[in-house]
Amino acid sequence: MRRRIAIVEDDPAIRANYADALGKHGYEVAAYGDRVSALAAFRTRTPDLVLLDIGLGDEVDGGFTLCRELRTLSGTLPIIFLTARDSDFDAVSGLRMGADDYVTKNVSLPHLLARVSALFRRADAAHAPAQGESVLARGPLTLDLNRFAVSWRGKGVDLTLTEFWLVHALVKFPGHVKNREQLMGEAHVVVDDSTITSHVKRVRRKFEAVDAQFDRIDTVYGMGYRWKSEN
Amino acid sequence: MEIRKLSGALGLRTKIALVALVLLVIPWVGYSYVNAMERLLRQNQEQQLSAMARAVATALQDRPQLMGLRAAAPAGGRPPPAGILSEQMQILLAGLARAGLRIWVIDSKLSLIGTAGDLGAPPPAADETITFGPVERAVRAALRPVFERFLERPVRPAEEFIPNDVVFGGREVERAIDGATTLRRRPAPSGHGVILSVAHPVWVGDTVVGAVVVEENTDAIVSMRNRAFEQLVAVTLISFAAAALVLLLFASRLSWRLRRLRNEAENAIDSQGRVRNLAAGEHARDEIGDLSRSFSTVLERLAQYNAYLENMAGRLAHELRTPIAVVRSSLDNLRLQQPGGETGVYVTRAEEGVKRLETILTRMAEATRLEQVVRSGERERFEVQTVLAGCVEGYAMAYPGRRFKLAMTEEPVSLRGAPDLFAQMLDKLAANAADFSAGEAPVEISLQRTSTEVVLRFSNSGPPLPAEMKNRLFESMVSVRKDRPAGDPHLGLGLYIVRLIAEFHGGLASASNRADRNGVVVELRFPATA
Repeated sequence: MRRRIAIVEDDPAIRANYADALGKHGYEVAAYGDRVSALAAFRTRTPDLVLLDIGLGDEVDGGFTLCRELRTLSGTLPIIFLTARDSDFDAVSGLRMGADDYVTKNVSLPHLLARVSALFRRADAAHAPAQGESVLARGPLTLDLNRFAVSWRGKGVDLTLTEFWLVHALVKFPGHVKNREQLMGEAHVVVDDSTITSHVKRVRRKFEAVDAQFDRIDTVYGMGYRWKSEN
Repeated sequence: MEIRKLSGALGLRTKIALVALVLLVIPWVGYSYVNAMERLLRQNQEQQLSAMARAVATALQDRPQLMGLRAAAPAGGRPPPAGILSEQMQILLAGLARAGLRIWVIDSKLSLIGTAGDLGAPPPAADETITFGPVERAVRAALRPVFERFLERPVRPAEEFIPNDVVFGGREVERAIDGATTLRRRPAPSGHGVILSVAHPVWVGDTVVGAVVVEENTDAIVSMRNRAFEQLVAVTLISFAAAALVLLLFASRLSWRLRRLRNEAENAIDSQGRVRNLAAGEHARDEIGDLSRSFSTVLERLAQYNAYLENMAGRLAHELRTPIAVVRSSLDNLRLQQPGGETGVYVTRAEEGVKRLETILTRMAEATRLEQVVRSGERERFEVQTVLAGCVEGYAMAYPGRRFKLAMTEEPVSLRGAPDLFAQMLDKLAANAADFSAGEAPVEISLQRTSTEVVLRFSNSGPPLPAEMKNRLFESMVSVRKDRPAGDPHLGLGLYIVRLIAEFHGGLASASNRADRNGVVVELRFPATA
C-alpha cells in the first residue's frame, strides 16, 4: 500500500516541489494551500503523515491550529512542521502542539525524505516487537533505533526525531567530543550554532524530567558536546 | 570678524552681562543734563549780576554827587559833606548786597568810593532742594573718596578785602572805565572756587565817571551741581547693579538649563548605540522646553530606526527563507531527476550559491535568535576559567594559522549567566581577533579580576580601528572589514552578538587601539559577583 502524505503549504512553488519529490519516492501526495480545505479532506480521510507550514495565507498561526485539530483526529499521526520561522519560541510551541518534528524550510529534500522515512519506520515499529540488533544500550540508556525511542533507567524519554539523532550521535562513541557541525550532519539539519545549543538544552531537560540527577551530556566549551560514560 | 570670534567664545552669561553695559548710557545722559542745568544757572546768575550792576550804575547816574563830582552839584547849593555822601553810598549799596554778594564802586581814577557785602558769607543751604534716600546715602558715603577726588568742592573764598590786582589790574574794571559792561570769572585768591564779577560803567553825560562792580562766588551752583551729580551716580549705580544682578541670575538659569540639555543630548546615545530620552526641560513651556521636546522626538525616531535596523536582519532572513526554499527544492528535484549528466555542473554551482545564501541567512538570523534567548534570560553561576580555557584550546584547532596566548588570573572567577552564550561570545571575539590579526604575533587573551570587576581582553596585532568606527563597532550590521573573502560573508553582526551576550552578563564591551597603534584591543568588563 502506498503511503499517503499530505502537504499543507501556502506557497505553490514549494508545495509542488515537495509533492514532486515525495511522489518520485513512491509516496502518494495530497497537497493543500489552506487550512480549511486541508481539514475538510483530513476529515474524510486521514493521511499517513502530514507536513505542515505554520503561516497559512492570512492565518499567521494556521498551522498550529490545524495541528491541534489533527491531534484530535488521530493521536499517533506523524506530523512534521516545515516552516520559515526559526525562533525557539515557535519550535517549542509546535512541538507542544504534538508535532513529531520541527524543521526550517532550508532543509534539503534528501534530509526531509530521511525524516519522512524515519517517521514511517517508527510508526511501523510501534506495532512490531523490538529486534535485538537495533537496540543500542549504554548503561542505563537504551536507544531503539527502529522505534526512535529512548529510555533512561527504564523510563521512556519522549524525544523528537532531531533530538533522537542528536543523542544517537553522542552516544555512538561515548566520551568523544562531537562538534556542532558533526551533530548537524547526524541530525540531518542545517541550522546555526545556537539552535544546536538549544536542542541540546532541550534534550537535557527532557532527561532531567525523568531523572533529576541526569548529567551525562557534557559541554566541552569551544569544541562541542560529549556523552559521559559511566563514572 | 574679530568681534564675532570673540563673541562666539563668550558664554551666554557673559554676553548678557555685556548687554547690561547699555545701561551705562544713563549716567552719560544724566551728566549732560546736569551740565546743561549748571550752564543755565550760571547764565541766570550772570544776568542777575548784570541787572544789579546796571541798577546800581543807573542809581549812581542819578546821584553824581555820590561819585564825588562837584561839577555836577546843584547850582548855588553847598556840596554836602563827604561823610554824609559816603554814608548815603553805603546805604544804597547795603540795600542791594546779600550774603555772598559784594558790590563796590570806584571812580574813574580807580579809587574805591564804596563797598558793601561779603563774598565769604555762607551761601544759601541747598540741602532741601535734593533729598537722598537711605540706599543712596550709603552709596554716596561709600563713594565719597571718589567724589572728593574728582568733583571740585565749593570752597567759600574768604576774601576780606578787594585785592589790589583786582582793582588795578582787573580787565573788567578797565573796560568798564572805558565804557563797556564786562563780565569776568576769576579764580578766588585762595586758589579754590571761582568768583563771577560784572563791571558796569557809571555815566554822567558822555563821560564815564566810575564803575560799579558786582561780585558773587559760584559756590551755590557748584555745590548744587555736585549734589545732583552725586545723586545721579548713586541712582545709576544702584539701578545698574540691580539690573545686572537680575540679568545675571536670569542668564545663569538659562545657561544652566541649556548646559543640562547639552549634557543630556550628548549622552543620549551611549557608546553601545542605545538611545535614551531627554529629561531636561521636558515640562518647561518656553523655547528650551520646545528644543528639548523636539530633540526627544528626534531621538525617539532614531531609536525606532535603530530598532528597525536591528530587527531588519532577522526579518530579512525570514522573508528570504521561502524563496530560497523554492530554489533549493527545485535544485534538489532536478538532481533527483537527472543525477550527474551535463546539467549536473550547473546544478552543483547553483547549489553552492544557495548554500552561500543560506549561510548569510543563518548569520542574519543568529542575532535575532540570540536576542530572544537573551530576553528569556535563564542564568546560572559558572566558572569563567573553565569556559575560557576550553574555548581557547578549541581555537588552536579551529584556526591552525594563528597562535593564541592565554593569561588568566589564579583566583577563581565566576559569573552569573549562560556558559553556552559566554562561549558563543568568545567564539565571536576569537573569530574577530583571528581575522584582523596580521603577522606572526599571537592573539593575546587575558582574564583579570579586581575587587569590583572581571576584565576580559582580546588583543590582536593588525591595522588600527578607524576613529569614526570606534563607538559603532558593537552595533548591528556595522563592519570595518574591507576585503571579504568569497564564500565567507561578513554582515557586521559578530561584535553585535558579543555586545548582546556581554550585556546579558551585565557587562560592557568596548574596542580601542593598542597604545602603540599596532593592533586592537576588545575589552569586556563584567561586575564581579561574590
